[in-house]
Amino acid sequence: MGNKSRPIYAPFKLDVTGRAHLIVTNLAEPPLELAEGFDDITVWTVKTIGRGIPAPAAPGLRPFRAVAELLPQLAVRLAQATVGLRLYAIGSEAFIWDAFNVAITAGLDKAEIFVHHAGPLVRRVYCTHCRTMIEDVAADITPCPACGAHLFVRDHFSRRLAAFMGVIVDAEVPGEVPAAEALTS
Amino acid sequence: MNLIIKPAETFRGDYTYTNSDEAILRFPFPFPEDIYMYAVNVEPHVRGGPTSAYDAVFDIDEHYVGDMEDRAITLAEDPLRCQVLPHMNEAEWDTLELLMESLSYDYPEHFTLTKNGDEWHWVNRPLNIDQHFTFGRRETLPYGPFEYITRQVQGDFSVQDQRDGTLYMDGGMVTSQADWSLNFDVGMTFHEWHGPVPLAHEAGVFDRALQYLLRLQHGKPVRRLNWTITANPRLDTSPENYPIWGPEKAEINPANVAHRMCLRVEVQTLTRLPRSNAILFGIRGYLIRLQELARVKKWAIRMHRVIRDLHPQIAEYKGMPRYRQFIIDYLASYDDGSHLNSGTAPEQDAL
Repeated sequence: MGNKSRPIYAPFKLDVTGRAHLIVTNLAEPPLELAEGFDDITVWTVKTIGRGIPAPAAPGLRPFRAVAELLPQLAVRLAQATVGLRLYAIGSEAFIWDAFNVAITAGLDKAEIFVHHAGPLVRRVYCTHCRTMIEDVAADITPCPACGAHLFVRDHFSRRLAAFMGVIVDAEVPGEVPAAEALTS
Repeated sequence: MNLIIKPAETFRGDYTYTNSDEAILRFPFPFPEDIYMYAVNVEPHVRGGPTSAYDAVFDIDEHYVGDMEDRAITLAEDPLRCQVLPHMNEAEWDTLELLMESLSYDYPEHFTLTKNGDEWHWVNRPLNIDQHFTFGRRETLPYGPFEYITRQVQGDFSVQDQRDGTLYMDGGMVTSQADWSLNFDVGMTFHEWHGPVPLAHEAGVFDRALQYLLRLQHGKPVRRLNWTITANPRLDTSPENYPIWGPEKAEINPANVAHRMCLRVEVQTLTRLPRSNAILFGIRGYLIRLQELARVKKWAIRMHRVIRDLHPQIAEYKGMPRYRQFIIDYLASYDDGSHLNSGTAPEQDAL
């Protein structure tokens, strides 16, 4: 089934036309070997070494304690960006499209942003009924923690919400919930 | 046109909605052949067609007042059923102008538009509305211009912005949809919002349709039909409220299928807007109970054949498996095996 709302991701590579490169990921390490021959590469990760303590920073490396800490700082960083900055977001689809939307709001052009899907196969799911966002869903059916509906995760993705559409699976005969299957993409 | 509008009927709860004989005979039946498959099937939207449902640019029918009351109920519960992104302001006014001009031209006994420069006067008699406002000034209307006018015209609407070689769904009024969510889809490209439709992507239908629409010209609107099957004459068959209306589908049985099951047809119109260069997509829904439809001999026979031979994936997408056999069994009694002419006209003048 060809689903056209699901983005197709190109393999990661740095953009040779950029003068500075900011790589952000929701993973502890970016899953890549950075190409040599590029100057001014900064990597932001999410990694702690104790409760509430981020992993140590190093030149060109800045770990955050959570995505919730990283994204607002990304907005601040991009507001100060000069021409030539390239942003690369790597990780879950929820994270990379959140980062993409932060960058667009900050004034970057689509051509200056690169997104790359990596890490565990988990999805953010939007409950169509009560509008709650459910993070890190790994199966095609999940209960909504807010309204209690058992949601089927449609293969339909909104970049604006950075989420997949979840619609009640047993509306017609309440309780008739099929067995959930692990997501495979 | 001699249009008599009924007092408000209900599209939820006790479902008092019914079609008069005249409304049945003007129904825009969607199947010109005995078999159905996805196709682009676009034609010029000019006045006139197989039934009088095609006589106006934006068709108003006997259900108008109840239809608009049902929309107001849905919007009171969920204001996000109407959203327009901020850069679409010009398209909002384009929409208001197009709809007011069309309605006042096609139904002068019901709607009157008077312009004095930018000072406009709009009268909608069926809904008892008498509004003076300044064109281009939002603060002179009780709602944004797009919401204001689409609260007064039957059918859902979306507005598509054209840029980057595609169309973006950057606004809409969606209170009677067949299982899609404006709040989820708003801002999507043409291919994204059609993502869940089976089979048609592989067939290249959306690629061809998009290329066609990008070249759509002002003054040359087009239309196509779409259809589905709905349990009860319900307008708000939204995914948002599926937990509320879903159980009604499970109540369908051989004894009530003729009365409760409805064929739902969308006459979809696409119009290029003059100032914004956006496209207004009208999704005008019509509902007919199977027992009403079966009073037209040709339609009962053809509907039987289409549903019986429908591709399983399309039946699944349209939510039909639970009661498909009941529909087939009910309509089978009308199918005498006779050859039917191509086309959708009822081929009878009275019931």
